Amino acid sequence: MWLDFPIYASAAFVCWLAASGLFLSSGKKMLNQLAAGFSFAGIAFLLVFITILWTHIHRPPMRTLGETRLWYAIFLSGIGLVSYLRWKYKWLVSYSLGLAMVFLIINLQHPETYDKTLMPALQSPWFIPHVIVYIFAYAMLGASSLVALRNLFFAPTEKTIKGPIQMADNLVYLGFSFLTLGLLFGALWAKDAWGHYWTWDPKETWAFITWMFYLVYIHYRFRHANEHKKAMAVLAVSFAVLLICWFGVNYLPSAENSVHVYSE
Amino acid sequence: MSNEESRKTGVHRWSYREGTMVTAAILLLGFALQAASGGIVLRIAGFPWNMLAGLAFLGLLILVFVIRPKHSIVKGLGSVKAALPAILGFTFLVLLMGFVKQDVEPKNTLVKLFGLTHLVKTWPFILINLYLMILLGIITIKRLTPFNFKNAGFFLNHFGLFLVLFSTTLGSSDMQRLTMNCYENQTESHAVDASGKMIEMPFSIKLVNFSIDEFRPKVTIVDNKSGQIVLNKGKAQLEMMDRDSFTIASYHIKVEQFLESSGKSEDFYIKKNESGSAPSAKVTVNNPTDKTEISGWIFSGSYSKPPEMLQLNESFSLAMLPPEPQKFSSELNIQTKTGKNRSTVIEVNMPYSIEGWTIYQTNYNTEMGRWSNLSVLELVRDPWLPLVYMGIFLMMAGAAFLFITGKPKNGGIEHVA
Ligand code: HEM
Repeated sequence: MWLDFPIYASAAFVCWLAASGLFLSSGKKMLNQLAAGFSFAGIAFLLVFITILWTHIHRPPMRTLGETRLWYAIFLSGIGLVSYLRWKYKWLVSYSLGLAMVFLIINLQHPETYDKTLMPALQSPWFIPHVIVYIFAYAMLGASSLVALRNLFFAPTEKTIKGPIQMADNLVYLGFSFLTLGLLFGALWAKDAWGHYWTWDPKETWAFITWMFYLVYIHYRFRHANEHKKAMAVLAVSFAVLLICWFGVNYLPSAENSVHVYSE
Repeated sequence: MSNEESRKTGVHRWSYREGTMVTAAILLLGFALQAASGGIVLRIAGFPWNMLAGLAFLGLLILVFVIRPKHSIVKGLGSVKAALPAILGFTFLVLLMGFVKQDVEPKNTLVKLFGLTHLVKTWPFILINLYLMILLGIITIKRLTPFNFKNAGFFLNHFGLFLVLFSTTLGSSDMQRLTMNCYENQTESHAVDASGKMIEMPFSIKLVNFSIDEFRPKVTIVDNKSGQIVLNKGKAQLEMMDRDSFTIASYHIKVEQFLESSGKSEDFYIKKNESGSAPSAKVTVNNPTDKTEISGWIFSGSYSKPPEMLQLNESFSLAMLPPEPQKFSSELNIQTKTGKNRSTVIEVNMPYSIEGWTIYQTNYNTEMGRWSNLSVLELVRDPWLPLVYMGIFLMMAGAAFLFITGKPKNGGIEHVA
């Protein structure tokens, strides 16, 4: 079944590439609509593939890493498209399409090599929403920090910073709401799987710290609407914390035996 | 408002200095208390004292708003000037938890003195929680009076977090987590807590059947001399036996016959379904480099039967690893003291609730694997859970609000008193 994957994946890839290109290059309404159409077509290709896969293997295709990456690709592009239709942020939809394409490429490069076993605790309806919401949150917050760094170092004047800083704010609000959902989904899941909603497991602790830093940003911005530089510095620091949580936590001494360190 | 004015009217506006000082004082006091008490593990009083304290706390919060809503301290506590240092103070404690491994024996005296290995149960943690609850309580009431629908998102986020902190802090000592060992066809009515104390349950559980579904086993290459799995770039080369033929480390493997559950009979394997049976397969291995072909049986082995490998050449053998569990479940019959009788099947991620207790599948005799006759259950009672969930759901709705409304224009302070 996965043998057909390159066909569907390439079709989706081409659609999304065209869509991002159109979104980024043009200001014309017609072309933007065409781009939205292409984004949708790409999603449709993957949906068709996953439906066929589902009926073929007689179980929900949510078990292997390859399968979850497929869902990431679908959700990221879907959320990107919906938020485009809602807010008309062209950079946002291009960015999420770009990430979705990365997932497709990873899947194309590792056909069928993924581990097919999944420990029972991970076999939960919470698994997919928990992971997808987190991935999306990290993607948005990552983008907000890029904007922050740009604002910090390429120091636009007080007048011209308005636009970029609004972009950072919007990304943080979007990302933060997803981060909150990810945290809370995780809590509900943990209750079902381990009997307690929050155990201060190192990964949980670091995810929580990340959340707190963005919480600081939101509150700081709320009452200090004009302290742009300081706000951007807070945002840049938050991103460092986010990276620790994502990549670094496995190497911290406190993280031995974390339930979240599954690999091998 | 200038300093001059504020002095005249007797209103002192909080700046970050006041906010920071209060948070710092709370942390210092907390660590001092912790050190003075000799690094004990703190426990909040149980029912009914925790509930009475909670009600008194809520009453006090409301009372303050009825008599002195405009007092400068109340105003100060309800401002970002207090909130930011408080959030940072809490972050500081959580950061400590992020770096110091929790729930282990403290390694040095300083760590022990300040309770750094069990921070959640220390004075500074509980005090800062209390302080956050005071702040959240004050701003929630402040924004609710008068009610304005524009503040709905604010209310959901802040009151949601208030509820979560309130119920988890107060409820921590009413929560019971016990372990029960159930053996097949036996009835058990006792469980043990973390300290090993035996506790009688209001029901008895009979384990009717314990079963495991397994994944197909994986095969790998083993070094004949060391008996270790051969690594390639630091990774074991594993292939799952769910296809008729596959390639592993350049060997072509053809599966002639696969037996899910089998045992040895003379020098081959046959279908068997008795304790100790395990998967086996007859394979033909093709080595393209020296053009040899070998065929024979491999067997994963079990707690009572030795595994069997297939020697490929002088250096390497093909081995079948014990299959990994895909799902394990317990069929239970529960008899309560109140006369209820329930039959149910529980598995990981699918607990069962009865009489205020929730029963979780946690473990089994992993050495015996599929033939384990022991099922380890966790029994959890958490009477404050509905409040915690309510807080969580409010926060979820709040997150949806943040997503939909986004950042308020002009910083959003225009609809704030
Ligand atoms: C940790 C405890 C928290 C404290 C002490 C706190 C405190 C505050 C304070 C004092 C304000 C300004 C209100 C004003 O000046 O009128 C505020 C605003 C705000 N807070 Fe919090 N907050 C906390 C947690 C949260 C959480 C968990 C969220 C979101 C999930 C959140 C989201 C917001 C937002 C979005 C605003 C902007 C106000 C608005 O939208 O109307 N806060 N918070």
